[in-house]
Amino acid sequence: MTQTTTSSTERLVAGRGIGGFGERHFKYTVLAPAIFILLLIGLFPLVYSLIVSFQRVTMMSADTSFAGFANYAKLFADARLWESLLHTAIFAAIALPLELVLGLAMAQLFLERMPGRQVFVALLVLPTVISPIVAGANWRLMFDHRFGPINQVIGWFMGEPTPILWIINPLTVYPAILICEVWQWTPFMFLILLAALSNVDKSLTEAAEIDGASQWRIFTRIVLPAIWPVMAIAILIRGLDLVRLFDIVWSLTRGGPGTMTETISYYTYVQGFSQFEISYTAAMAFLVVALLTVIVTLALKRMGIAR
Amino acid sequence: MTSAIARRRARLALRYAAATIVTATFVFPIYWLFMTSFKTPEEIFASPPQWYPGSIQFQNFNVLFLDGDAIAVWNSLVTAGISTVIAMFLGTLAAYSLARFKTGGDNLAVWILSQRMMPPIAIVFPVFLLYVWLGWVDSFIGLILLYTAFNLPYVIWMMRGYIGDVPLELEESAQVDGCTRWQVLLKVVFPLVRSGLFATAVFTFVFAWNEFIFALVLTRTEIVTYPVQVTRYFGGQSNFWAKIAAMSVLGTLPIFIAVAMMQRYLVRGISMGAVKG
Amino acid sequence: MSKKLIGILVAIAIIIVGGIVIYNQQQEAVRIEAEQMAAAQATAEAEAAAKAAEEAAKMAEEAAAAAASAMDAADRAVEAAKQYAGTTITITWEAGLQSLDPLNFSGPKWKELTGIDVKVVEIPTAEMFTKTMQEFRASTGAYDALNVIPAWMPDLANAGALEVLDPYVDKYGFRDELQMIAPTYRDNQMTVDGKIYGFPDDGDVFVLYYRTDVFGDPANQSEFKAKFGYDLAPPKTWQEFRDISGFLTEKFQPNMYGAGFFREPPYVMYMFQERFRNEGGKFFDPETMAATINSDIGVRVFTEMRDENKMMPPGVETWGFVENLAAFLNGQTAMTISWPPYGRWAAGYGLEQEAFSWVPKSQVAGKVGYALPPGGHPQLAAGFALSVASTSKNKDAAYLFIQWLNSEQTSKQRVQLPYALRDPFRTSHFESAEYIGRWPEAKQYLDTLKAGAETGLLDLSLLQTDKYEEALRQAISRLWAGEDPKSILDQAASQWDATTQEVGVDAQKAVYGSWAAKSGAYPR
Repeated sequence: MTQTTTSSTERLVAGRGIGGFGERHFKYTVLAPAIFILLLIGLFPLVYSLIVSFQRVTMMSADTSFAGFANYAKLFADARLWESLLHTAIFAAIALPLELVLGLAMAQLFLERMPGRQVFVALLVLPTVISPIVAGANWRLMFDHRFGPINQVIGWFMGEPTPILWIINPLTVYPAILICEVWQWTPFMFLILLAALSNVDKSLTEAAEIDGASQWRIFTRIVLPAIWPVMAIAILIRGLDLVRLFDIVWSLTRGGPGTMTETISYYTYVQGFSQFEISYTAAMAFLVVALLTVIVTLALKRMGIAR
Repeated sequence: MTSAIARRRARLALRYAAATIVTATFVFPIYWLFMTSFKTPEEIFASPPQWYPGSIQFQNFNVLFLDGDAIAVWNSLVTAGISTVIAMFLGTLAAYSLARFKTGGDNLAVWILSQRMMPPIAIVFPVFLLYVWLGWVDSFIGLILLYTAFNLPYVIWMMRGYIGDVPLELEESAQVDGCTRWQVLLKVVFPLVRSGLFATAVFTFVFAWNEFIFALVLTRTEIVTYPVQVTRYFGGQSNFWAKIAAMSVLGTLPIFIAVAMMQRYLVRGISMGAVKG
Repeated sequence: MSKKLIGILVAIAIIIVGGIVIYNQQQEAVRIEAEQMAAAQATAEAEAAAKAAEEAAKMAEEAAAAAASAMDAADRAVEAAKQYAGTTITITWEAGLQSLDPLNFSGPKWKELTGIDVKVVEIPTAEMFTKTMQEFRASTGAYDALNVIPAWMPDLANAGALEVLDPYVDKYGFRDELQMIAPTYRDNQMTVDGKIYGFPDDGDVFVLYYRTDVFGDPANQSEFKAKFGYDLAPPKTWQEFRDISGFLTEKFQPNMYGAGFFREPPYVMYMFQERFRNEGGKFFDPETMAATINSDIGVRVFTEMRDENKMMPPGVETWGFVENLAAFLNGQTAMTISWPPYGRWAAGYGLEQEAFSWVPKSQVAGKVGYALPPGGHPQLAAGFALSVASTSKNKDAAYLFIQWLNSEQTSKQRVQLPYALRDPFRTSHFESAEYIGRWPEAKQYLDTLKAGAETGLLDLSLLQTDKYEEALRQAISRLWAGEDPKSILDQAASQWDATTQEVGVDAQKAVYGSWAAKSGAYPR
């Protein structure tokens, strides 16, 4: 084996070690099982997808002959695919800022100590830990135009019964999904931002206040820069989740009406598991992974959190 | 002076009012879910809707137990529970290696994190084919391994941060006392990062508990988890809302209980994850 | 060191993974070869078996005639199945009401007779094809017997997911009773390329239900005649339907509307197929295989369907099977089109199921007439056949269960279960004195079902049928969302064309040709 290049920390710890084979390779021994599992479940599927994406496997035939880039070429002509990407982008572009702003406002509200704050926070965590499938199913019942409370409440305000068909009407189906999504994940943003806000140095804001700075100025000049690193991570996490949006769509609209609310994840599922276009699905999965990699890399660079 | 106090009081009252409205809005759908599970079918399908059941009755739950559908909650418990334990153990070991020895440098750490970003839909098909080949479809081992793999990056990432905070001197003095590496790890490090372990475990568990795509594709009859079971009540000739609501509540209650018990860790887990990056 | 080690690790992983992939593919190749050989063998065997069976059948017929009085197909199945006592078979069934039959009646009874446990796997309709196919690909043997919608049978059979049943039919003496299934179902929903893959088990057909009291009311009759110049009677054409439902809606809303239909795309997909063909539409150009659903006829049907929603209760676009039933039983709608169970429930027969607990007790019992839907050629929509999964590890037991279910003796009880969704499909069911005595109008009901079966239209069934159906379901969902009918149908047609291209125009043309040659493909 080659000479180990040890870091200072390692030398500090390992140097006092007793030595021996088990000890020397300790750092690899403890790492190996995790890496093995990650390779098996993380890397293997990608390699396999890559191979299959150049073949012609469908439901009817297990034709593994080389298809060249046929499946990839098909991607570009598949309008439904690009539409589903667009839908995904729309969901992300609306839900993310909404969750962020609402979460921030709520965090401000609960920032100052008040008796019973614990209880409020405990209750607000609940939507986030519910299964998205259950959330979607529940909202579907709530949106029902006869048996659900949403139309009933709107009817009270309008003064007459409102027959809004939330899931059928293209104008309301996006709001319906977004409401469910925002309901479920705003509390997540809220918790993160609450923690971040609590860590902001009070003396800075107080000093600025004494200097007569406006609340808005204090927020944009002191608070926002202080919480930005945390916020950036939160945006990244949620952004990635939104790209994978699947469960809520599944239980709320099944991609309908038509294909109007199909997300990229949903469409990939349809191609893979209901139409069994196996090779094509593999190509599509690869496109998604490639797109995500680009987006994440860019985002990390932009936000300055790549380390 | 008095006016200042009065103003502060008014402000507090206003904040309470706002807090109550916000919380009520967010809790209302959960309230609706629970109430629906106690309603009779007539009450579920009442128009205009009834905001609370005439009486609390458990018929909807009884049906689930009589049909044997309630076993889905047990299946979820097994898969989520075991995969959490395994992921926590292996992940913490790996994190220790990364944090203490900088094994693989930042590149390995970033590669591990990037595994978390993989959309499930991109790997579910190859995994399905792999499992067909291994005979792991509809088996606990398959699902547990998958959830373990999917949670590992998160566990490693989080635990790396916590372990980094453990003072090195403690480990060193333990070694001086003659502890082997393993003993140091088990007797010194693990106890010191206990709260981090809990915080991470809660999230790992919640993720595995609520997971849907993998379970949808990889379960048939034997190990159907509860989110998949819920979707089975859709369609047919109507949506069986009584069963949907009851099954949802059965599956949601354990999570609520876990969250209530782990409240402290949970909030820290969410915020630490972000703060530590 | 560390970088190097990671490099080695990754290299090892790639080698392992590569090895797995290559091995897997070889396995696959071997499997495919074996499958093809098995298939060829099976074909040869089946042919030989068929010939032998023909002769045997002739001889057996005479012998059977004597023996039949002692033992029928159901008894034979039970006797043969006793050797499998203590095992468990799994059968897929449509989730919901459909499953009450095996859960409450046939499953427990089979267990009592043979000692074999029946496990019912409920699957939502929309996922039945997917799950069946997925399971076949996974080959875990999780399903033994299957419920199959006949339109998918060619796809499932071609893929190899279904067991050829001919050898079993001969082995367990079921051929005679199979012949007694009503001709439409027997001839169209049982075989693929001459081999039996499933037993038609559900006489699904659309029926027009109308309120005899409303249609018979003298005031309504005279008003209607004055306005339209012909007698108020169940509509024979869609134009008449619009006249009548418009007239009634205008007169009685909001207490009653002229009509109400279920509008969920999976169901409407069948209604569209029916109406399109009744109006003279053809699905494809038989020469080029170009989709012709976007013809003027298709666009007109779509436009009319959308416009007719205005004559129906508000929110009808969201109605499913049970919502529509509730409205009709409640007296809220004067006409509806649906599957046969509506007729039984409307008569007040068997509504005490949990799923119906919010459905009002029938307020229209005794006031319901039955007729063929406008155009006179109802769709034999969906329906179910019973099959054996090729991946089953317990094929004989699975087969015997479905033979017993499908037999004269058992099926007659099953189609009369109050909660049944299985509808009469044997000639004897239509003529059963017991059934006719169930409610006063039952004879008229059974006659209508029989007439429907005779003039009915088959679901479109091609290679990869599900893709064609999916395009239609989407189109309908977009229709309710308010898009332009012509552009929706143009898009659906181009989706059809793309699928046809994928499948292969010639292959699909041959399949379509033989489908279109069937008596129930297009109205005659």
